[in-house]
Amino acid sequence: MYELARKALRLAEKAGAEEAEIYYAANHSTSVNFRKDALENAKDRFSEGIGIRAIVNGAVGFASTNSAAQIDDAVEVAVSEARIRESDPDWVGLPSNEKYPTVSGIFDKKVEALELEACIEHALTLIEGTKEVPGTLPTSGGFTRAKSKQLILNTNGIEIEEESTAVSGFVDVITVNGQTSTAYDFGISRSLDIDFFALGKNAAELALKSSDGIKIEPQKTDVIFHPFAFSDIIEEALAPSFDADNVQKGRSGLIDKLGEELAVPELSIYDDGLIEAGIETSTSDDEGVPSQRTTLIGKGVLETYLYDSYTAGKSGVMSTGNSSRSSYTSPPAVGLRNVIVDYPQTDVIADTQSGIFVNTIIGAHTANSISGDFSVEARNAFTIKDGALDKPIKSLMISGNAFEILKQITGAGFDVRKVGGIITPSIRVSDMSVIG
Amino acid sequence: MQDIKFYDCRVIEGSSTSIILDNEKIEEISRNFTRGAGVRALCGGSWGYTSVEGEIDLKQGVEAASKLAFSMNASTPKEDVELADVNSPEVKNLPEVRIDPRDISIEEKVDLLKNIETNAKVKGINSTKVMYLESEFKVEYRSSDGIECAYELMNVGFAVSAVASENGVYQAGRESRFGYGYELFKKENVLELARKAGNTAIELLKAKTPKGGEMPVILDQELAGVFAHEAVGHASEADLVLEGDSILENRIGEQIASPLITIIDDPTLHEFGYYPFDAEGAKSKRTEIIKNGVFNSYLHSRETAAKLGGTPGNCRAQGYSMPVVRMSNTFIDNGDARLEEMLEEIKDGMYLIGSRGGQVNTGEGIFQFNAEKGYLIKNGELTELVRDVSLSGKTLEILNHVALVGNDLKMTAGRCGKAGQLVPVSDGSPHLSISKALVGGA
Repeated sequence: MYELARKALRLAEKAGAEEAEIYYAANHSTSVNFRKDALENAKDRFSEGIGIRAIVNGAVGFASTNSAAQIDDAVEVAVSEARIRESDPDWVGLPSNEKYPTVSGIFDKKVEALELEACIEHALTLIEGTKEVPGTLPTSGGFTRAKSKQLILNTNGIEIEEESTAVSGFVDVITVNGQTSTAYDFGISRSLDIDFFALGKNAAELALKSSDGIKIEPQKTDVIFHPFAFSDIIEEALAPSFDADNVQKGRSGLIDKLGEELAVPELSIYDDGLIEAGIETSTSDDEGVPSQRTTLIGKGVLETYLYDSYTAGKSGVMSTGNSSRSSYTSPPAVGLRNVIVDYPQTDVIADTQSGIFVNTIIGAHTANSISGDFSVEARNAFTIKDGALDKPIKSLMISGNAFEILKQITGAGFDVRKVGGIITPSIRVSDMSVIG
Repeated sequence: MQDIKFYDCRVIEGSSTSIILDNEKIEEISRNFTRGAGVRALCGGSWGYTSVEGEIDLKQGVEAASKLAFSMNASTPKEDVELADVNSPEVKNLPEVRIDPRDISIEEKVDLLKNIETNAKVKGINSTKVMYLESEFKVEYRSSDGIECAYELMNVGFAVSAVASENGVYQAGRESRFGYGYELFKKENVLELARKAGNTAIELLKAKTPKGGEMPVILDQELAGVFAHEAVGHASEADLVLEGDSILENRIGEQIASPLITIIDDPTLHEFGYYPFDAEGAKSKRTEIIKNGVFNSYLHSRETAAKLGGTPGNCRAQGYSMPVVRMSNTFIDNGDARLEEMLEEIKDGMYLIGSRGGQVNTGEGIFQFNAEKGYLIKNGELTELVRDVSLSGKTLEILNHVALVGNDLKMTAGRCGKAGQLVPVSDGSPHLSISKALVGGA
């Protein structure tokens, strides 16, 4: 299919497209998965396909296929869809070829060359880690390595090709005695620099520490969110409001707030497609606009929204390089790159007299992505007493608002983690409402 | 490789169309053609799986999967996996499609969406989005133990959302319907649903966030259906049971719920979770998960059925992903109570309506669901509308605290995302009255 991408671009022009774009993506992943402490299966997946955007008279059509035999048809469909649609006055054009940054750390030859036997070893290491902690058993988990290739071509001269690799490990652990408790841990990276043994061990220790939880009274208190919990809140309750498409359509809680003091002055949040070895790092975004670093919140002030070329054209600004596709089957839309949460770091638990530490949350995706309101169940939560974790809490609901949280942040830990593309330390928020 | 004792292949070919209308503009018309296959091979106690998109060489696929299974088994040998027997299914009684959506022009579909959007834009709504989805696919299944079967299915549906805002407060209303055949748009009063989405958003603007705490609640059909699927259904999936990640492990035959409760999974119903045979070629069939409060059956694949004893038929996959144990159409069966009786009985509490999703920990048996909205119940009457309310608690406690089961079962179509794979499902329930539950609010 890769060889057919250029042909498809010419076909689209011939079929009457004034502008056209071919997005090619291929992915090969190998994963080894376990159930309880035994390896269950190995999976090898090959995926490859192209997505075609065709523009006629300021209207866009899109079609995709993974079958070489259907490329001609898909191109025809994309062009005829564009013809059906009314001209879009907000359409400015596909991006043009520009100077591109150099990014590093996103491709690792060792990952590409990884044999199945080595994948099996890594999966076994995850299991061994959990065995360090008696009284626990893994329930499921696995190791995955992937290699991807992407090619973007358009009629404005863009021709960008990039390869990348990724490895990840995941483990879910349950306690075997007494009151049941569970915990998980995961890691994802561009290279083989994850300590899989530690992942297994951490999850098992956390599950064990969480059992025999106590009930606590409803209260307002300081809550420290572990990077897993905080990144969930950012992704589900806060990030959608930065999306310029949501702003333009009246679906963002940040409309008319540019330049406003949104957060405490110690807090900055960046969207960055360039950081070394980031999971969302690449030369360009998914329509060929050069990647960049964007200050979303600078010292507490909202500086910009996130744009792809369409939303940027509509607002008369420059794209921030945030065009994103979940696969070749979908047209591009605004999406996050690596998001970095920056706040002065301290030994945040030690600095907390009393409060609650929350490792993970469930239900973040039920947040109101416009208002920022959320109500989630906290998992693996502990009381904090005199600067140290004290007792596990059996069941805990936390309600709040993502925008209010930004104004109530009072601390951050040293424990920065890459939770997929979101890079954050533990964050302490004052005056959170919790129900035990 | 003579050590490979079983392999199977699923070839899937299909196409889908989606149209998105956003604030009166066509945001997207896209069409996708796919073809691909998933191949499994079993060696001893290890599975190998390979999936390929595009042009498919099945022989090569079987070899690749076999090699994976063989290597896995060689490096970590373990107890052999046995598979429960299945017979070649008879494919009949597929959902009827009276109007083939492919016979309707794109222009007509766009007009329908525009009409839906106009209706959702009731006074005070400042943003709307309507999505139309249509997909047709053909599944061919073949296994080394001689099963060969195929079917074709076509889905169609829509979703509408409307957003209202006032003084920096945003609230949304959403409705969706999915089914088979374009007649869905005639059968369901889609324009009224659109108005309902709009009105919900407007109403919610004025709604307050209540004080949370423990109280008696009534769940509407949709939220109770989500509970049946998320909290009970997932815990009854035998793969989770075998992982030791289900609170229902070793509970068959035990009274785990109020005797009023019967929960069923039935893929033969022509609801959104319908299939004639599952991803292992096993004929679909109805399963009583809980019968009159007694835990009756897990949901099985061929592997889990052989291991735990049971009947296969609930192994499913999204496209050419590796199949896992899944639900289909899952519901709490009708009782005989009316909503009015429930209100009278409960006196003071909360009526929780609709669902904005939620999550469940099947191992610990705890859950959390967000309702779309709710009403305070005072003295047996519905009073103030409230928003941002959620329900959480322990699955088994809720099942035992069911005081009344309604007689108004209703199914809702959706997609379940277990194991990172989306498959069409439906879930439902009559109204449920629960004597004590934890409601989250401000």
